[in-house]
Amino acid sequence: MIKKLGLVILSLTLLIGGCAEQKLLEKIGLITLAGYDLNEDGKVVTTAVIRQVDPEFQSMVTTSSAVNDSSLGALTEINRKTTKKLMQGQMRITLFGETLATEGIGSFLNTLSKNSSTSSGILLAMTAGNAKELLEYPYKNINDVGQEIYKLIEQNVDAELVTSSTLHEVSQDYYSVGRDMIIPIIERKEEVIEVTGVALFNKDKLVGQLPAKDSFYLLLIRGKFKSGKFETTIPGDIFSSNQSDSSEPVPVVLDTISSTKKLKLTDKNVPEFELQINLNGRILELDAEMDFDNPVEIEKLEKAINQSLTEELKSILDYCQEINSDVFGLGKQYRSQVRNSKLTHESWHAKYPTAKVNIKINFKILRSGVFE
Amino acid sequence: MKNVIHVKPQQMINAFLVFFVVHTTQIGVGIHGFQRIIYQESKQDAWFSVLVIGIVSHVIVIVMIKTLEMYDSHDLYGINREVFGTWIGNFINVIYFFYCSVAFFSVLINYIEVIQTWIFPLLSTWFISATLLLLVIYTFLGGLRVIVGVSFFSFMLAFWLIFVLVFPLQYSDPQSLFPILESKFIDILKGAKAMTFTIIGFEILYIIFPFVKDKKNIRKPVHYGLLVTTLMYLAVILVSLTYFSGEQLSKTIWATLSLFSIVQFPFLERFEFLAVCFWMLIILPNLCLYVWAAHRGLTGMINISAKKFIWLFSCIVLLLTFFIKSRIQINSINNIFGQVAFYIVFIYPLFLYVLALVKKKLTS
Repeated sequence: MIKKLGLVILSLTLLIGGCAEQKLLEKIGLITLAGYDLNEDGKVVTTAVIRQVDPEFQSMVTTSSAVNDSSLGALTEINRKTTKKLMQGQMRITLFGETLATEGIGSFLNTLSKNSSTSSGILLAMTAGNAKELLEYPYKNINDVGQEIYKLIEQNVDAELVTSSTLHEVSQDYYSVGRDMIIPIIERKEEVIEVTGVALFNKDKLVGQLPAKDSFYLLLIRGKFKSGKFETTIPGDIFSSNQSDSSEPVPVVLDTISSTKKLKLTDKNVPEFELQINLNGRILELDAEMDFDNPVEIEKLEKAINQSLTEELKSILDYCQEINSDVFGLGKQYRSQVRNSKLTHESWHAKYPTAKVNIKINFKILRSGVFE
Repeated sequence: MKNVIHVKPQQMINAFLVFFVVHTTQIGVGIHGFQRIIYQESKQDAWFSVLVIGIVSHVIVIVMIKTLEMYDSHDLYGINREVFGTWIGNFINVIYFFYCSVAFFSVLINYIEVIQTWIFPLLSTWFISATLLLLVIYTFLGGLRVIVGVSFFSFMLAFWLIFVLVFPLQYSDPQSLFPILESKFIDILKGAKAMTFTIIGFEILYIIFPFVKDKKNIRKPVHYGLLVTTLMYLAVILVSLTYFSGEQLSKTIWATLSLFSIVQFPFLERFEFLAVCFWMLIILPNLCLYVWAAHRGLTGMINISAKKFIWLFSCIVLLLTFFIKSRIQINSINNIFGQVAFYIVFIYPLFLYVLALVKKKLTS
């Protein structure tokens, strides 16, 4: 009898004590996106896109913002303005305003990584201008701005048009010695939001930007690139069949099927690198007459493509060295090849602007479609 | 020969089951976050440290089995009494008893901390520890065969988790492993020593040996168990070293769980939550075997029934969990325990073997 009573008491205490904090969907607001800006006083302006689920109506999406010294403190502020308890577990995206990115986003990356309720797979992006303005604009065709931005970036990452910027990948670069992080830039153009470029960082500070089309080169060098389309221009005079305005540059759209990248440190004192990129691909669009059965012609075309790719790559590299942002990971290569280099962020960034890279690109045309 | 343990045939276990016992006692809470501890010592060569300690554990096990075979039906407690005499022997046994108890305690509090930081920040400590302790009491009272059964199922049900490492592998960069062997040899050894907390567990062999039916065949399962553990740790450390960049890894407290946090399925957003809950299966044999080993030590010295022992033990542990709350406390317990465990698990068997040999020579 006593034994049984003991068991009953024991199981009751466990039942009562075991109730963990409840999170009923009707009573919480899901933050799907958080945007951070810096105002004139140096305080953080947090804008949250909140999705509230209601069983009887369509779920509601609202944006709310608050000003505070810290990002999580602002969240508490926002909580005071909503009827539901805010939860971060469904957060998919974090946006940083341009001014904040210039000041540095290191502490935000740290806070996000610390938080066990957000996944390390959330995406990061920068807004051209203010994140708050982008989020609070009354879009005609967009119902849930958080979901819209998430899908936009995810789709572009999948198509390998911009670099993947999950929290993990960005902080991997942030905490590494010898590779600086990059995140995509989004911008409102009238009624739509689009990816307009790539933000380049030095440690945690924004130092430069590249247009979206240049992400291809960044993807290519950073070694995550598998296949994708890109456009370049080649001089028109290589085509023998071309008659009149031969010096006009001709645009060509290429689709790479496979690519390999080899980066090697050849001289550690300069430091000098050798970058060899092999691409296999097909021509999608070429605005010129060309005989695809003639191997000499093909070779000429390949050469021209190589030439123009090399030049564009070179100019991007020069720009990155000028702003001192090693987004290619040259420092990582240096560290992995030089023994006992004791490389730090500072010591590498003193060397990086004068580093030399010999680029060798080898583009091979495999196919050119079904119609000549 | 009062130290001989007479085990009835129906209480014995097959030699091949020792594989599961050794392996599941080794894998526990240490694997959650051993990466950064070794990384601090041997940087990108941390995986060499894992390799070194893996090989050392094989050597120690060879010595252990040799010692045990000298005294056929003794466990460690009996051998201690035989070699050192009753008084000193019992003194060492008390130390070993406390070692097993602290191991139990440390596994428990580490797991509770993980649950609280990752999933339920508001869940009270006593609730989790009471739940786990009830489970341990239930298993323990079933006897050794039930405990071994639990470790068998723990292995079978949790082994697949290792394949989840394929997901973080997509984000990893092998470049971070180079230049290979940049760290000094002494740092690699230091890293290996720091692995102690994670790799210990195979010392359970000392206690379980008399309960094995076919003692001649014990070598193979034990070494396979160690090998599987070492390979598992090697896989985890290699993925971690390439997935995280240096400073990032040294800031990640539970790197293995963070590895899991990138895994996403359409039906499951946060895989690490599942993994943390699943880990209960992995630590259960840990807890059961350590408390069983502690009990074996105590019964040799004083007369106490298993039932009384386990309830008393659980109550004390439950009380103690009230006092250990913060990360700093748990960390320092892990550190001190790791230090002590190194001497008990890696140094003492060698010492004991030499003494036993000398004693045998002198008496014959």
